[in-house]
Amino acid sequence: MEYVNPEGLRLDGRRFNEMRQIVAEVGVVSKADGSAVFEMGNTKVIAAVYGPREIQNKSLQKKNDHALVLCEYSMAQFSTGDRRRQKFDRRSTELSLVIRQTMEACILTELLPHSQIDIFLQVLQADGGTRSACINAATLALADAGIPMRDLAVSCSAGYLNSTPLLDLNYVEDSAGGTDVTVGILPKLDKVTLLQMDAKLPMETFETVFALASEGCKAIAERIREVLQENTKQLEYRRAA
Amino acid sequence: MGLPDSSQDLSTEMEVDAFRRIFPLRFFERHLSESLRPDARPLGKARDTIVNPGLVSTADGSALAKIGSTTMLAAIRMEVMTPSTDSPDEGCIALEFHMPPICSPTVRPGRPADAAPVISKRLSDTILSSGMIDLKELCLVSGKAAWMGYLDIYCLNADGALFDAALLSAVAAFSNLEIPVVALNDNGRIVAISGGKDEDNASIIEKKAVNKEKRKLTLKNIPFSLTCILHKKYILADPTTEEESIMDTLVTVVLDSSDQMVSLYKSGGTVLAYSSAVKSCVELARKRAKELKQILGEMDID
Repeated sequence: MEYVNPEGLRLDGRRFNEMRQIVAEVGVVSKADGSAVFEMGNTKVIAAVYGPREIQNKSLQKKNDHALVLCEYSMAQFSTGDRRRQKFDRRSTELSLVIRQTMEACILTELLPHSQIDIFLQVLQADGGTRSACINAATLALADAGIPMRDLAVSCSAGYLNSTPLLDLNYVEDSAGGTDVTVGILPKLDKVTLLQMDAKLPMETFETVFALASEGCKAIAERIREVLQENTKQLEYRRAA
Repeated sequence: MGLPDSSQDLSTEMEVDAFRRIFPLRFFERHLSESLRPDARPLGKARDTIVNPGLVSTADGSALAKIGSTTMLAAIRMEVMTPSTDSPDEGCIALEFHMPPICSPTVRPGRPADAAPVISKRLSDTILSSGMIDLKELCLVSGKAAWMGYLDIYCLNADGALFDAALLSAVAAFSNLEIPVVALNDNGRIVAISGGKDEDNASIIEKKAVNKEKRKLTLKNIPFSLTCILHKKYILADPTTEEESIMDTLVTVVLDSSDQMVSLYKSGGTVLAYSSAVKSCVELARKRAKELKQILGEMDID
């Protein structure tokens, strides 16, 4: 099947280095300490952060002088094409762990000892790139909750189909059997926190795809920064006096 | 209540927020004596309600309902199944209500919220007993194929009156539902027609499509609900989480569009409801049903 036509357009009309449309908003769940909605094309994710709060299950606490970060990733029953999915399947557990470790690296946990930070992610619509959308949403929600972080953790995916590196794969492109590289970086520090790849790739191609994904991450970081600055301005107006 | 009225001494010195946290009941009673609530609502008024249909593109019907901050997202997916032998002409609706941990600080991961299965069951009973959906409309081929509608309601923000918001989102999702077009293929099985390649499928659609015309369900007797809190002699409509946590007697009244009572629910609580209180709740529910009918009507026009 042809994923990139001879003119260089993909199935949804994007070019190889074009991301899907991003919609990001903070403060959507009033009950949460911090929350955000992040949409990449048709993939919609809500993140809610509760914390820092008292540790609820002392047996999970490993390091006394650091905050405990917990993460739960779950997909709504109607989020994908076919409904029948177990609520906590292996993929959800794996993603919960991956996202938790990514965010834990970026939160300054030593500043909040003896406390727990909960990050909950709910996927409302899945169209490829849910991992990345979740990390971006979690970053926004953590910032909205005022939790101190080293840097914004941003993530984007890229793949390689029809001999072309493609940025931000959707579900159809992802299930095409080519490779899928997900990269999570801390843009200001220019460090990679998450790197996952499946399927085979020659080394040079990998470097091209990785570079493309990193570029995508930097663009998302810009967007996230804008959203947060706009939010701060709104808070300032409302504070008035 | 034999507690000393120590709050009187401190109330003048303390900040409002601290007083609200430490003496919540007295804080609310101060407001109730002026016939108001802390968010400036009169006692019988519900919060601003918004309904938005068709948000989830992967579902066959969906709606988002917001009452104040309480947000519910309902989505329906239709699948074909074999009907049971005692009702070969009827389809089926499976309803599930989820409270994911994002919605409230009290929901812990790995442990479902206490309220979730209760609301799930009540919603299921209310929708089926109201007669809103004629299950015979979900039949495709008598005895062989019928629709099973999976309705999933997710609470995205829990701020009181969860049952009301969930019912509203379910009703809106049903009215937004468009049943997918299917055809009977050569093996006698039902297949979905994606509607993509028109030249190939056009002939199939004309000849074999089993339900080309009937794509929307006719909803009669739509149920509308209102939850009220009874406290001493006051009746508060549409409580928030804060109010629900302080005052424990909740009464839910469900009326349908022809003003008939579908269900009444009062599960314990310190206040006993005399018939006059119940009548007032029903009156408030009647007014609310009119408001909700109008909101749903506006949604359909869009």
